[in-house]
Amino acid sequence: MGRDIVSALETAYVLDTGPLSNFAQAQWLGVLKSVLKDHRVLIPDVVAHELRNGCDRHHYLRSVLDAAWIEQVTLSSPEELAAFVHYERLLVGPDQRNLGECGVLALAETLPSAVAVLDDRVAVEAARGRSVTVRRTLGLLCEAIRAGLLTVPLVSALADDLIQNDYRLPFPHGGFAQWCEREGLFDTP
Amino acid sequence: MDIGARVAEARSQRGVTQAQLAAATGMDRTALAKVESGARRVAAVELVAIAHELGHRVEWFVEEPSPSLASYRGAQPGVAVQAIDDELDSLVRDAEFVTAHCPELVMGQPDPLPYPGTAEEAEEAAATARRLLGLEAGCPAHDFARLAATAGLLVFSVDLGEGADAGTVLLKRGGVALINGRRRVGRRRLAAAHELGHYLVADEFSLDWRVAATETEGIESRLDRFARAFLLPGESLRACWREWLADADETWRDAAVRAASHFGVDMSTLARRLVEVGLVDRSRADDVRRVQTKQADIVEKNLVVRDDLAPVAVPRPYARAVLKLFRREVITADRALGLLRGTFDQASLPDLPPAPEAELWDVTS
Repeated sequence: MGRDIVSALETAYVLDTGPLSNFAQAQWLGVLKSVLKDHRVLIPDVVAHELRNGCDRHHYLRSVLDAAWIEQVTLSSPEELAAFVHYERLLVGPDQRNLGECGVLALAETLPSAVAVLDDRVAVEAARGRSVTVRRTLGLLCEAIRAGLLTVPLVSALADDLIQNDYRLPFPHGGFAQWCEREGLFDTP
Repeated sequence: MDIGARVAEARSQRGVTQAQLAAATGMDRTALAKVESGARRVAAVELVAIAHELGHRVEWFVEEPSPSLASYRGAQPGVAVQAIDDELDSLVRDAEFVTAHCPELVMGQPDPLPYPGTAEEAEEAAATARRLLGLEAGCPAHDFARLAATAGLLVFSVDLGEGADAGTVLLKRGGVALINGRRRVGRRRLAAAHELGHYLVADEFSLDWRVAATETEGIESRLDRFARAFLLPGESLRACWREWLADADETWRDAAVRAASHFGVDMSTLARRLVEVGLVDRSRADDVRRVQTKQADIVEKNLVVRDDLAPVAVPRPYARAVLKLFRREVITADRALGLLRGTFDQASLPDLPPAPEAELWDVTS
């Protein structure tokens, strides 16, 4: 086994409620599993809690909690809680949203090598200058397209949903497919 | 920081039993007891629920309070924590956070003034303070929070019920003063001026139950004098008083109503000041104290009604700094609303521009 593969296997992916919810709603959890097959996939306790709370209204969230390949991690060490509070100061207000992002960033930065997957722009900014690598839902979806698991039109539809959910993506409605075409991405040789 | 001890502290302050808190947060009571005694670590998800239930942010349990607040608490272990104490703790954390990300909020802090040892020194300190805040000679000190911010003191006003009048904490840069918004406008401004005094003599922490209570002595009474002299500069008060009394159609009552409105003080403060500067005797001062400004006065004398420091009030430069952090996407909308303490709603925040297309590579990589 080559060195690169070993390090890839050691990289953990820590996922936020939003990206997981997007994959689950589109019934693409299998796709996500394939894309991340070389990695540990983790969610912090606060994300598991958000998912559990959402199950009543969004039944598809149950599939995330039931997925054996998604490990739930309790944040409780002093380092984890200190990191959690660092992000709480930037992201959390009176309505208590964004606690999931705080947990994801806190867990990812206290692991030796981890990638945080989240979409909130402020949360992405908050990770700058900290020891966290961040990827967005669309990054994983593009990887799925490259792997032949999804197509551009399918991903474009989900990208439009992300825009509607106010993630302020850098393209308008329908813009993802146009951009892929313009840049010649995913062209079959 | 012992998180368990903080949980126990916050729980007993709220008068909640372990069983009640455990039930409210879905925890096992023995697990909660172990958390409080330090025998078991608390999970983030549990701490979020506990914080929510006890009315604190998670940071309150994990990070030490500011050194000045901590030393005050340490010095008074028997004193029950009051609403103002919690509110100040939270304001200090928020102000430290905002100034850390937006240092231009507090440009600087003036060199400490000497403690006024006498009434004359309190008068001198007030004159110096007025100069420091850029007030022209005799000019009334309206819009107190804006004035104080020029010297690095952030003055907030929150309705704290029947608790203390005001409190001030010195920060690493600048300071935070909290005024009990429950009081009427004149009392709020007097309390704010008193806190400005504490700040300018660089008191690390002060909590004032009743500003200008008759029984106060020593430094508190001299800061009361400072506050009156700051709001009602002697020379200017004398000139105005004489001018108003010179009008044959008006009486001392009219002059009192005009003075209270012009300088933004309550009648009791005005009465005391009139005696201090030798404009009335004690018996007339008692009359002034009983004067009530009527709606007819406002119309007939064409008075401007100001509601300085009406709760909730956050200082303008602080609000501007929070909006800057929101625009720069350093903080979320929800965090901005929290830092602005309910003075803004979602719709009143600025619209952010669309993300630049150049970011597409970042988003999709």
